[in-house]
Amino acid sequence: MARPDAGIDARTRRGPGPTHLALMLLPALVVVVMLFGGGLLLGVLQALGHLPGAGLERLSGMHFGRVLTDPDFIQSFGLTLYVAAVSTLLAAGLSVVAALALNRMAARWRLVHFVFQIPLTVPHLVIAVAVIFMLSPAGLLARLAVAAGLIETASEFPLLVNDRWAIGIILTYVWKEIPFITLMLLAVLQNAGGELIDVGRTLKADAWQRFRHITLPTIFPALGAASLIVFAYTFGAFEVPFLLGRTYPMTLPVWAYKHYSDIDLMARPEGIATGIVIAAVVAMAVVTAQALTRRARKRGIVL
Amino acid sequence: MSRPKAVLVALTVLAAVGLPFATLVIWSLADRWFFPGLWPQAWGLRAWSYVVTTAGGQVITALWQSVAVAFVTAVVAVLVALPAARALGLYSFRGKDAISVLLTLPIIVPPLSVAMGLHLWFIRLDLAESFIGVVAVHLTFCLPYAVFVLWGVFSNYNPDFESQARSLGASRWRVWLRVMLPMILPGVIVAGLFAFLLSWSQYLSTLIIGGGRLITLPVLLFSLMGSGDRPVAAAVSIVFVLPALVALLFSARHLGGKSLAGVR
Amino acid sequence: MGALSLKDLHIHYDRQPVVQDFSLDIGDGEMVALLGPSGAGKTTILKVVAGLLAPARGEVIIDGQVVNDRPPEKRDAVMVFQKPLLFPFMNVNQNIAFGLKMRGDDAARRSRAVERILALTRLAGLGPRKVHELSGGQQQRVALARALVLEPAILLMDEPLSNLDANLRQEMRELILTVQSELNITTLFVTHDQAEALMMSQRVALLLEGRLRQVGSPRDLFHRPADPEVARFFGGGNFFRGRLHEGHFECDFGRLPVTAADGNGHLRTATIRPEDIQLATAPVDLPDSFAGTVVRTRFEGMATRAWIRCPFGELVVLTAESALAPGQSVRLRLPPDKIRVFSEASSSE
Repeated sequence: MARPDAGIDARTRRGPGPTHLALMLLPALVVVVMLFGGGLLLGVLQALGHLPGAGLERLSGMHFGRVLTDPDFIQSFGLTLYVAAVSTLLAAGLSVVAALALNRMAARWRLVHFVFQIPLTVPHLVIAVAVIFMLSPAGLLARLAVAAGLIETASEFPLLVNDRWAIGIILTYVWKEIPFITLMLLAVLQNAGGELIDVGRTLKADAWQRFRHITLPTIFPALGAASLIVFAYTFGAFEVPFLLGRTYPMTLPVWAYKHYSDIDLMARPEGIATGIVIAAVVAMAVVTAQALTRRARKRGIVL
Repeated sequence: MSRPKAVLVALTVLAAVGLPFATLVIWSLADRWFFPGLWPQAWGLRAWSYVVTTAGGQVITALWQSVAVAFVTAVVAVLVALPAARALGLYSFRGKDAISVLLTLPIIVPPLSVAMGLHLWFIRLDLAESFIGVVAVHLTFCLPYAVFVLWGVFSNYNPDFESQARSLGASRWRVWLRVMLPMILPGVIVAGLFAFLLSWSQYLSTLIIGGGRLITLPVLLFSLMGSGDRPVAAAVSIVFVLPALVALLFSARHLGGKSLAGVR
Repeated sequence: MGALSLKDLHIHYDRQPVVQDFSLDIGDGEMVALLGPSGAGKTTILKVVAGLLAPARGEVIIDGQVVNDRPPEKRDAVMVFQKPLLFPFMNVNQNIAFGLKMRGDDAARRSRAVERILALTRLAGLGPRKVHELSGGQQQRVALARALVLEPAILLMDEPLSNLDANLRQEMRELILTVQSELNITTLFVTHDQAEALMMSQRVALLLEGRLRQVGSPRDLFHRPADPEVARFFGGGNFFRGRLHEGHFECDFGRLPVTAADGNGHLRTATIRPEDIQLATAPVDLPDSFAGTVVRTRFEGMATRAWIRCPFGELVVLTAESALAPGQSVRLRLPPDKIRVFSEASSSE
């Protein structure tokens, strides 16, 4: 993921001694290692069949095996991947358009720049609720369709929430994530974009060539990193698919929680195992993003 | 950009962002709004009076619960993050890459995976269904997030100002208070605000660790959505979104429109 | 072939006039320096020529054609910016070939042109390097090469040396001069450094506060400034008033024979450069001289700058005499041929 390290001096500056540095880092490391690391480790142990209180039992891959061979798992995995990938791609594409438009829009359109940032801070849950009110069969859009004479009853309205193609979920994510990606792109564009574009113009690049050969390479690392963060989030989030998804198949996080909270205690380790699988997929996405960022920095692009 | 184009972009942005909120506001003010009416058949403040008064102040209690959890989480996160972010932002040292991965990974690994693992342990420590337990699980992602924001702040911060102040005779404490703090304050506020919001928006980890005993606003909102009372759900949604808007207004106004890039 | 003509340019920024009444003609193959202090509007003019800014009024004419309506990419002028502004995601070769690629040249042709220009700008062998691996001087040369490879009619350079340290600056200056004369590219470059302008250009255009004050050969501007402000910009310090009378300038320092054309009986301002004043420590050394007392001195290496109080005012003198001390009596002489009398229009300060 994007590192905030502008790193002008960080490489050369003489820091305090190692003990001093360790003390500065220790509190944060302790909290993260214990709570985050501990949580994941205990999750793995429980998923491997270890039940604290009952003493250390023999660890086995049984629960992971049951999860991974469950035909529903493949369905869920596919759906989750689909939702995350489509949301990310749509949001990334629209963000490029939005970033270019906002970048060229004079600063005096302050209200627009402000309003554009609103979705950043709005909880996913709120926008999911609003999406239900707008897109459900009794929602605003359906009422508009009736008023326009397109349909007569709610049942004629196409399913846009709890639907097969997860349209409601994807729309919610796209609404929420566009500002996030766009602002990352705008930061890059405003730093380096303008001057390089001027260079491109005097070097005879036309509008499309400037976009293709200057703007796109400039924003690409940030776009990649932001997109992977969005992918990671949408892959592992619970609220939106829980509210707007179908009961079958469920996305992985919903599936995981359903098993975890099942009355049948045997289902619990499987829920935890699913949670670990989600974390693994997401961690892989992050590692890819780190590698991308590092490569970008090697090429001299400050993210 | 030409004016008509700019107006078009402006209208698109305003409509896309505004429409969901308009929907929520109208629903919260509708006493009766049967399909397929395009407009409520009866307006009223039933939902809002429910929010303020009924059910033993259920909403108000949840509101305070949410504020308390998010506030404590944000304060602890920023205090713990500050020294770590300073170390990461200003100096290079062995193992920095590994530490940076470790500290930023929790921002993206879903809290769901962590909370499920922590739950049994917290039960044994008697932290489950407790305020501290919920704050602790929120810290797993709010703290790394604060580190991430403050790291950026510190990498744009020049500690030579501190040396300068020291050489002019200021004590170490005064340097921190009078030199460092004013320079990083906007970043500290952003980090705090958004750690607050991150905790504020959290549903599943609160539910798992809080076990349904600690009712925060999102937990309440989920049960309301289940009950199907749309006007009340809309009103609670609006209450739920208010701190986010206030935070955004505040940062736009007092932090000089400091870019929120990298914030989610 | 490339002649540039700027006619009566007025340039506004945020509705404030930045440049007014700017006209300048540059001949084919000529190298002209646009000189002025920072904030005078030099870069603004360059951007207008490049097409990055539009003038409020006036015309930009390249090879006899008004190009005001043409965007930068359709003008036969290339600009080299103050910062190298190399594309960070491309290596040296790709950076230099950028313009050729945009133009649609094929790969073979591009690489031939790039090789040639790399050699010309002494970058041979650096083609595959990443730009952030280059030194500041190399980056600036790549930026120059990237512009030159297009063989534009007009080359515009914005302070091409200002980001370099002293040694590199001299090297780059020689390189630019060599390359410019070799390729015979019409060049307009901006600088705030008078020495740079005098050394590098065939003609200098001096811009003060958005107005063109004087255009001419480096010698002209240095020795025959059009008005006191131009003189002051080039380090002149001694200004005095007097009356023109029958080929003489009658002032407190005496009746000095000068070659001012007209203006008999009029009050005029005259100047003499500090290094042109003759100074002697013994009275016998200097005929037609007058007495003065050293007020203070400053040793400047090759010379010493001395502030001398005379009966009629204070004069600044730059002299090889390094042993001057405050309070010391000296003799001064103003050689008449070094005195510059300003014409009436410009002497009203």
